[in-house]
Amino acid sequence: MTKTLNLVGIVLILFTAGFARAQQSPQDQVKHGEEVFSATCTGFCHGDKGTEGGGAPRLAGRGLNAQYIEKVVNYGMPGTQMPAWALRLPQNDTNAVVAYVKSLNGIISSGNAGRPPVLSQEAAHGRDLFFDVTYDLRRCSNCHEVGGSGVSVATIAHIPADVPALRNLVMSQVQTATENGKTFPAVVSEQVKEETRVYDLTAVLPVLRVFAPSAIKFTNGNSWQHSLAIKAYSDEELKAIL
Amino acid sequence: MTHHCARLSLLLLFVAAPIRLHAQQPNTSTASNPVRRQSGGAIQAQQGATGADWPSHGGTHLSWRYSALNQISTANVKKMVPVWTFQTGDYSDGLETTPIAIDGVVYISTAYSNVFALDGATGKLIWQYKYLASSQTMGGGLKNNRGVAVASGKVFVGGRDGYLVALDQKTGHEVWKVNPGGNISAAPLIVKDKVIVGGRASRGHVSAYNVDTGRLEWRFYAVPGAGEKGNETWEGDSWRYGGGYPWTTGSYDPELNLVYWGTGDASPPFNGTHRQGIDLYGNCVLALGADTGALRWYYQEIPHDTWDYDATWEMVLMDREVRGRMRKLLVQASKSGFTFILDRETGEVLGTYPYVENINWVKTITQNGGLVGRHDVLEEEPPWNVCPSNLGGKSWNEIAYSPNTGLIYIPALELCNHILLRQARSGDRGGGTWVFKEPPGHDSAYSHLDAIDPVTGKRQWSYPYKFELFASILATAGDLVLTGDPEGYFFALDARTGKKLWNFQTGVPNRGSPVTYMAGGRQYIATPSGWTVVGDMTRGVWPETETWRVASTLTVFALPEESK
Repeated sequence: MTKTLNLVGIVLILFTAGFARAQQSPQDQVKHGEEVFSATCTGFCHGDKGTEGGGAPRLAGRGLNAQYIEKVVNYGMPGTQMPAWALRLPQNDTNAVVAYVKSLNGIISSGNAGRPPVLSQEAAHGRDLFFDVTYDLRRCSNCHEVGGSGVSVATIAHIPADVPALRNLVMSQVQTATENGKTFPAVVSEQVKEETRVYDLTAVLPVLRVFAPSAIKFTNGNSWQHSLAIKAYSDEELKAIL
Repeated sequence: MTHHCARLSLLLLFVAAPIRLHAQQPNTSTASNPVRRQSGGAIQAQQGATGADWPSHGGTHLSWRYSALNQISTANVKKMVPVWTFQTGDYSDGLETTPIAIDGVVYISTAYSNVFALDGATGKLIWQYKYLASSQTMGGGLKNNRGVAVASGKVFVGGRDGYLVALDQKTGHEVWKVNPGGNISAAPLIVKDKVIVGGRASRGHVSAYNVDTGRLEWRFYAVPGAGEKGNETWEGDSWRYGGGYPWTTGSYDPELNLVYWGTGDASPPFNGTHRQGIDLYGNCVLALGADTGALRWYYQEIPHDTWDYDATWEMVLMDREVRGRMRKLLVQASKSGFTFILDRETGEVLGTYPYVENINWVKTITQNGGLVGRHDVLEEEPPWNVCPSNLGGKSWNEIAYSPNTGLIYIPALELCNHILLRQARSGDRGGGTWVFKEPPGHDSAYSHLDAIDPVTGKRQWSYPYKFELFASILATAGDLVLTGDPEGYFFALDARTGKKLWNFQTGVPNRGSPVTYMAGGRQYIATPSGWTVVGDMTRGVWPETETWRVASTLTVFALPEESK
């Protein structure tokens, strides 16, 4: 039954029962996040719209990792004035702030926060292919995040020129990790004093694994290939995705 | 329509395969062979009872929701008192968890997949984990999580944004996380070195991950892709709309080394206009090889579903005599209002019977599973009062099986609904929604908790109730049956007579799964409470729902120290 509770069904039923809990579209959530951000985060620390403020760093246009944003918003930044907002704000507020800060970097520029770009028909097709569930284990969004959807293993720093370039993309950030004498292809997500977070690319779905820094070593290079990860797509499909 | 889908070739494969015995059995550490052999050998002793721990979602892999503990019994339950409560703070969508209890520590998850480890004797917080869900996918719809799994020094929890997360059992720190896609509300199931979980990805799938590394070990799609066997049972490319969500927790037979998982209906729900065909593997019970995920057999309870009768409810594995022959059974009180008795070695249907009183989507189901006189929901027919409702003859809350009494305990729901179809429009295949109604000829919807012979369906006793019974059932060797109601009462019945022996007002409605465990030589019974959005939806037939409140509370009971 649960799967049937799509948004339309829920709204209809809740209205039928004279009851409605707030639902937010992604756009509304970003807007809500901006309101919370303005009311809570700016003034003393961060600047308006994520610019540099009174001592806290700029957030806009830095390409901040999604997991990093969520962690810092919720748990704070030890040793700084950044508090753990998960303990102070309702979760819908922290989620909205995370969505808003995400919208300030990456593909969506700060000037277009919350406004999805108008796509051509081919580009829209490419977007659908990027997330296409029928490709499931081989779809782009398993390793890349766009517009807040997908897993941010590797940031899309630049768009390859053509399909061959996309297939043969050299992923210099893929290293060889060694743990307990066993090696695996890895992309480092975060390294701090207490822990190292790496994406393990051994299986078809990347796994974010957490190690004590001393428990894992890295060497440059790996035989992992981008062409194998996207082999399910045809050239035409990759062209649309580009 | 074809109803029995067990395939000969697969059967032969199975028969030819060696039966493996595994050392890793469910933990029954304090239960010294607690299951009595009944006269005539009708009930075979099995490792289906829990002992000091409640180690797995259904108690053990066999999903009996039965404990061999008997410190608390029919003789002394009147003295039982609350000893501690815990408020999770994640109260907006109730607490639907099944606590896991291991070595005196209780692990629970909340609607937003926050996880808590608590001292089972005192309720003291040991650690907590706040699930950082992707904000965009947490913005709407239902939020619920039905529990964690614990193994290999880790606690596993799924989330609404599709992640499966492994936490350090001692600290609650993340060890690994992976995004299988869709969302996960079910508790994972541990089978040997794998953590197995079903989810609501667009194409429903059951997936197994290595408990230590999170690496995907196998995946079985409930909707076969282009070119795969079963894809031909979908009209055109309607398979792309997916469905078949295996959104609950499966069972496992360690001797057969088979994992059993139920699947939901095809998408779009209700409206089958543009997905003609039997839509495999929608509405199926799947038997998958635990090591590979290979399909051993399947049984489709309802081909081409138009009522939203998922086959996802819990599957209770028991060995019982059927028509003079001991059989390995899989018993499922299905959403359709019928109980299906399957041979879990082969998928053969050994019997069916209705467990609710109001059924009109079909005239009957034959003993070998044939649907007789089905009345589909169709676009060309005005809405009619379909019984049972899309919540099912019972909701997801789980039944219990007591080998002591030989009975199963089913929280039946007599509720119907008008299904309002929506025709296809650009970009989709239509859909539908619903309005709950009383059963025809009744002034009100109602419930009843029944004690039933699982093989024959004969009702031993019935506990009537005026609202929905939405909490799971717990059965114990103390001959107790325990559950809660939406008026807030958690109560104990005599497992043999149905007589109410004890109750306690938890303060909020019950919509979770009670468990029992030992800590420091004392038996505890823990029950979650707090109301959910789904409960609110029944306000049309039960206006009293308006007074039922959200919360997220675990209440734990025991006998007074001097009485234990």
